[in-house]
Amino acid sequence: MNRYTYDEIEVGMRETFTVVVKEEDQTAFRRITGDENPLHREDAFAREKGYRDKVVFGMLTASYYSTLAGVYLPGERSLIHSLDAKFLKPVYIGDQLTVEGKVTEKNDTYHLIRIKAVIRNGQGEKVSKADMQIGII
Amino acid sequence: MSRQEVFDEVQKIFQAVFDDDELMISDSTNSDDIEDWDSLEHINLIIAMEKRFQLKFDIKEVGKLKDVGEMIDLIERKLNE
Repeated sequence: MNRYTYDEIEVGMRETFTVVVKEEDQTAFRRITGDENPLHREDAFAREKGYRDKVVFGMLTASYYSTLAGVYLPGERSLIHSLDAKFLKPVYIGDQLTVEGKVTEKNDTYHLIRIKAVIRNGQGEKVSKADMQIGII
Repeated sequence: MSRQEVFDEVQKIFQAVFDDDELMISDSTNSDDIEDWDSLEHINLIIAMEKRFQLKFDIKEVGKLKDVGEMIDLIERKLNE
């Protein structure tokens, strides 16, 4: 886990990590949230709606923004204030996702940083993007 | 910059932060008057003002502000420092 302090963070800093979305992640997310929507549970339903397979929950994909802030940038001292996320393409079980965050602003008054984050699939396609405001405690 | 000019800019900042072109403020406007004015939006207001007026606040001085009038007084004072 990274332990960047506010003073160590610079505009332009980047952090990246990769993760593979597994079936058990999808199952665990469904159990935790109670979201039983068939698009995320049934391949047949998803195919009928024009998708390749059942679609990974967008909020499961977005949960990696939490990891980005809490583990990588800034890491230990992170406190997420806000997150504006967009879901651009479907994510499927087995996809390898690359999560990248870049610091775009710092605010000295509140020790806040702003991060532009993107998540790409194994083909390099942008599947999600987010604008995050993170306090450094 | 006159107090009225500062006020007009602050008005625009409020409208942008709260995404409401109809929002009108006065010197006595405070967080009780704007439903969405919570602690996070307060931070967004302060950050937007720092950017617009190219100044830096001290967290203690912004913590004491009671209403828009005090906010404008503070900005005007800092601009004239």
